Amino acid sequence: MSRHLPALLFLVPLFAAISMPIVCLRHRAWSRSIALSVLCSMVVFSIMNLVNIFQHGEIHYAFSGWPPPLGIEWVADGLASVVLVALSLLGLVTLIFAGPTSPKDLGGRIVHYYTLILLLISALTGIVFAGDLFNLFVFLEVAALASYALVGVAGGKALMAAFRYLILGTLGASLYLLGVSYFYAETGTLNMADMAEQLPHLLTSKAVLGGLLFMFIGLGIKMALVPFHAWLPDAYTHAPDSVTPILAALVTKVALLGWVRIMFWVLGIKVAVDDTPVLLLVGLLGSLAAVIGAVLALTQQDLKRMFAYGGISHIGIILIGVSQGNQTGFVGGVFYLLNDAVMQASLFFIAGVAISLYGVYTIEDVGRIAKQSPLLTSALVIAAMGMIGLPPTGGFFGKWYIILGALEANNYVAVGAVLLSTMLTLAYFVRIFERVFRHAPTLSDARPIEIPIQIKLSVGFTSMAIIVLGLLSDPIVGLLIDHTLPPGL
Amino acid sequence: MVEVFAAIFERPNFLTFVVIFLWGFYIMVTRYNLVKKLVGMYLVQTSVIFFLVSISAKKGATVPILLSPTASVQAIDYVNPLPHVMTLTAIVVGVATLGVALALCSAIYRTYGSLDEEEILKKLE
Repeated sequence: MSRHLPALLFLVPLFAAISMPIVCLRHRAWSRSIALSVLCSMVVFSIMNLVNIFQHGEIHYAFSGWPPPLGIEWVADGLASVVLVALSLLGLVTLIFAGPTSPKDLGGRIVHYYTLILLLISALTGIVFAGDLFNLFVFLEVAALASYALVGVAGGKALMAAFRYLILGTLGASLYLLGVSYFYAETGTLNMADMAEQLPHLLTSKAVLGGLLFMFIGLGIKMALVPFHAWLPDAYTHAPDSVTPILAALVTKVALLGWVRIMFWVLGIKVAVDDTPVLLLVGLLGSLAAVIGAVLALTQQDLKRMFAYGGISHIGIILIGVSQGNQTGFVGGVFYLLNDAVMQASLFFIAGVAISLYGVYTIEDVGRIAKQSPLLTSALVIAAMGMIGLPPTGGFFGKWYIILGALEANNYVAVGAVLLSTMLTLAYFVRIFERVFRHAPTLSDARPIEIPIQIKLSVGFTSMAIIVLGLLSDPIVGLLIDHTLPPGL
Repeated sequence: MVEVFAAIFERPNFLTFVVIFLWGFYIMVTRYNLVKKLVGMYLVQTSVIFFLVSISAKKGATVPILLSPTASVQAIDYVNPLPHVMTLTAIVVGVATLGVALALCSAIYRTYGSLDEEEILKKLE
């Protein structure tokens, strides 16, 4: 049973997504309970899978019994299992959040929404587990198609944003496929483990380096790394409020995980272009992204757009962490990835409530929330503390390990970039807090609005998680060091 | 200089791939009509598929079905089937993407009454 958990984790949401349009043709209200029960079972399965992997080591799952490298292989190792637990938990919390906001927000397209969410989650599971470069491409595209449709599901301004996202995303996927075909032409295999055995002899080959470049640009577009981030702010700003949290928390991070998989499990850390290690270049790009994203966030007026640029800057920080080429940095990056997923979800929950219940779109108006809802304000404060990286939250420990890793690698540019982006993050949250705490009451403040219990639950859960991840950072980082490190690091 | 050109023309499939890819990319960047952008996008996807097929081409080989059940298998006699299978999957993915893109286009047309990017951006403001 436990050997089949990885396949089960993928198949349950996939079949639910396929059958939902038929089952819910007459009874549209069923879609929500089906989706919730699927996500609940996924949470249980993913935790069982995590415990199983931590106890008995990684599982190599060969579909329909064809042994790799001929068959398609799935690798359920520590990293995949940890990310999967975060993925299913955040998916469940987003669905709980979507209950009261979605009917108005989505223009009545409830069944479309739940079908696409389940499809997205099954595809993300596929990316996390894929042990085969072409398989990774297929799941990347399924996840991307579901995200384009989710961005545009409610129509209106989001349609144009979804179209741009689609054009750029497809360009990225084509470049990734081109990279895969270079690798295939050079090694004659698509299986990651098999390729990792052959590549050490071929690292000077121009085809491998060219393929690596194309793959990196392709995945860079998917993870919204700075020169390729143009699609993200518009898509996240205009997407429905019940869609943005799951996109912000999961899609870009899972694309980054795909890159980590290729970089560390297929190529190894020694790959270099003319004696310059590729990891160093990736780290430089990450530093650029961390600083530029934060600068752009500082100049925004729109609340959702500011958080979107904050997410772009944090992708850079995660990249800095994983590209230091030592254990401390890698584990810090992975830990920060988990934290960032939770923080992004929390921020976009808050932005969604602010828009749908209080009509607050810009930073000018944020003060209205402070008077009406102390709960939401405290959640915003906790999320901001995480984003800035203040001690009791997980964000602090993530950045701490990343900086330690960078110091260990004598990479002072990276240290400077993390510190600078922290300062800038502090600056743009100070702008919000200035509005929150220095707001003169006006007449419209008198009208109290009851926040639905589902929203309180989801916002409360993410705020708790930000702090719990910080308080338990020692044991969690210990487990990550024991179980998620790539071979040869 | 001459050697560089000679090396390029030794591999006409690479040259064709680069031309189709850049052509598609140029259309995607320069045209304002959304459907024309999709044509460019499809050209980019097709160029990668073309590249995959062209690297698996082999002279004097046949389809990967055993010529006789008893004779020993010589890999040189058969074409590698894997790139073709990948191509097939990539085509399916491309068609699905195009479907979503056309659905978005029709929704945009119903909302804004135009497919011209500049007009739509004017109406958005």
